[in-house]
Amino acid sequence: MDLGEFEADNSVSCRLASAIPDVCKTEDCCLGIDEAGRGPVLGPMVYGICFCPVAKKEALKDLKVADSKTLTEAQREDLFRKLDEAKSFVGWALQILSPNTISTSMLQRSKYNLNALSHDAAIGLVQFALDSGVQLKEVFVDTVGPAEKYQEKLSQRFPGVEVTVRPKADSLFPIVSAASICAKVARDHSVKDWNFPEDLGEVDADYGSGYPNDPKTKAWLLKELDPVFGYPQFVRFSWSTTQTLLDSKAVTVHWDDDEEDGEKAAARQNNTSMLSYFKTGSKTSAQQGNTHQTHRFFTERRLQSLATL
Amino acid sequence: MGHILVLDILPLSFRMSSNCHVTTLQLDSVSQAECPSVHLLPCEIEHDGPAEVSQFFTATIKDQKHEKTVSFRGRGLKGQEVSCPQGYTGLVLREVNKSGSDQEDRTVKVSSVFHKVTYWNLETSPNSDDGIVMAMAWPDLAEAIHGPVDD
Amino acid sequence: MTTKKKRTPHSQNDRWVVVAADSAVETPKKDDSDPTFIRLRNPSTGNAASLYLLGSGDVQLYEVKAFKEDFHSWFIGQTVQRDGRLLYVTPMDPLYLLLPYLIKAGEEGKFQPVDQVVMDEDFPACTRLLSCTRSQTSLHHVAEEKEVGSQKFQRYSQERTMEWLKKKVHRTVKTLRKSNISVGEGVKSTTYVRVKQESETQEEDYLRYAHGLISEYISEDLSKALLKHLQLPELSSPKEVEPPSKKRKLTDKPLEAGEDYTKFNSSDFSRKPPKKMSAAQKTLAKVDKTGMKSMSAFFSPKGKAEKK
Repeated sequence: MDLGEFEADNSVSCRLASAIPDVCKTEDCCLGIDEAGRGPVLGPMVYGICFCPVAKKEALKDLKVADSKTLTEAQREDLFRKLDEAKSFVGWALQILSPNTISTSMLQRSKYNLNALSHDAAIGLVQFALDSGVQLKEVFVDTVGPAEKYQEKLSQRFPGVEVTVRPKADSLFPIVSAASICAKVARDHSVKDWNFPEDLGEVDADYGSGYPNDPKTKAWLLKELDPVFGYPQFVRFSWSTTQTLLDSKAVTVHWDDDEEDGEKAAARQNNTSMLSYFKTGSKTSAQQGNTHQTHRFFTERRLQSLATL
Repeated sequence: MGHILVLDILPLSFRMSSNCHVTTLQLDSVSQAECPSVHLLPCEIEHDGPAEVSQFFTATIKDQKHEKTVSFRGRGLKGQEVSCPQGYTGLVLREVNKSGSDQEDRTVKVSSVFHKVTYWNLETSPNSDDGIVMAMAWPDLAEAIHGPVDD
Repeated sequence: MTTKKKRTPHSQNDRWVVVAADSAVETPKKDDSDPTFIRLRNPSTGNAASLYLLGSGDVQLYEVKAFKEDFHSWFIGQTVQRDGRLLYVTPMDPLYLLLPYLIKAGEEGKFQPVDQVVMDEDFPACTRLLSCTRSQTSLHHVAEEKEVGSQKFQRYSQERTMEWLKKKVHRTVKTLRKSNISVGEGVKSTTYVRVKQESETQEEDYLRYAHGLISEYISEDLSKALLKHLQLPELSSPKEVEPPSKKRKLTDKPLEAGEDYTKFNSSDFSRKPPKKMSAAQKTLAKVDKTGMKSMSAFFSPKGKAEKK
């Protein structure tokens, strides 16, 4: 699997795809969706789709694809190679959500949560298949969240396509297993060969699975913490594991939309309104007397006089 | 409130002295000043001191058509460069032999010189309404207010 | 996800980021002293001290202002500076600072040598203002001068001061016109609803704005006198902010011939883009508005595009 395009800029989201088999443009097709790397605190989350003609479902079964989680890394690599060899009737596409995309989206002012992020990635991939001319009739989706709602959402979004959202779909439908293999292989490769855009020299690559409860991952996070920057973009800042570590070991950083400061600002506002309520009678003498009102040119530009250096 | 009270009971001589004391700007330090890159961030970092800015930050800045992008602590920043107004130079002044007392004359030296600042907004694209862009209009207007008038 | 830690108070700084006029930091001529930051009486407040800079050899005065936005810090090279302020050091007319002393002495009505007038036990450094090149050469703008032998004597003149300040205002208006600073959204007298032409209103907006800026450097009394001198009516209540455009729309008087039409195409008329949106506004903005008619469309008469 060639991840070159993602590796060229692993701070953003990237789509990779196989060639579209000609037969998929003429025959009714089924399509499976699965994800890899949702839980880890490190690296990208990868969404994968795999598709083939409905009539070729049996041929896909013969490749002996199975849920990627039940397979060893070597088996997954092997199966991905087989999928690639079946390119006359099997196609795939991936959406790689970089850890930086995950962090900045989830921590955005107007929060963009992981579910929304995942759904949008899945929808984007199905749309990509449609746009590429794949004759989609059936879509199978693996989910960890509530299946019905998601199924409804996708059905509405893609009328004329029969959508099945099912927990553990990756072990029930071979086309979903195939998608999970593609996604997992991409996730593994990108994590293993993570190209740190930071100028950090040699970075210890022994970060384990990336799951927050993996002792290796924990140790790596403790070791690599920078007091000012926290972590390279490889780490998902929106994970509570990361936030807890930063809260206890890094320099405190305040943003204008921090909850604490937001509450404080609200309190402050209440305070002034209270004050002005009590002050209405006497405010003129206090405000017009000696207190000089700074011209709006300066207040608008946040310019103020200084009393001392 | 506490501070005001404290000041009020201080002898007059103390208050006067703080007006008497001056802070000298050592200009010969300019020749040894560094020319670092200077970034204004949209967050308050509770730290004064060293940081691996070039390794973590500068190295990851993306230059796009109309803006630069980067992230800090997992938050997306968008920014651009602003130049010092014509006839103005950016300086970083640093106090030397800080005594910590208000009672003495102080000295500052020029530790850095810069001509451009990269400022960063939290998620919003840089535009002409940004504080620092607007503030850069001040020297021009100061010239109008303070320049000599004709006889 | 966001940090819930309280902001700790910031201890004193030992580093400042400054944008300074080149003249303030040019290497001093031989034997000249280094520039110094000093505290002087702020002429607009009277009692409070503000920070100023005297250039090498006390030849030129500078004002120090801080650009300060909440939640900002600096990266300077390989360091962090918590204090996100940006200080501006801009040339200042020393006459603004000398004026309060001259006015005070002027109450006695006699001619005095200026160095006997500019004295202040709370701010002893004020005498250094007299070393500024511009101080001596521009005193005649605010005082009558008499020369007896080699000695000069001065007496404050309100008349001269008003003329001087008026020139300052017009100078400032000129710069404002060249800039894209929006001067039109300010305070407006409620009792002052005279029907006026656009250009006239514009002129008044500029004058008031410039007057407000100059008033940052003079006492409240002088500021009021200057307003009169500029023939601008005093505003009844500066608290009541009212967008002037509202009143203006009612007067759809045709422009008279001879009026400079080109001005209406100038950038003076283009409004600044709206300020950053609040969270609520953003949410609103995201609402799909296709098919929704804008509110104003219901109210604005057909075929009369508003000039904005």
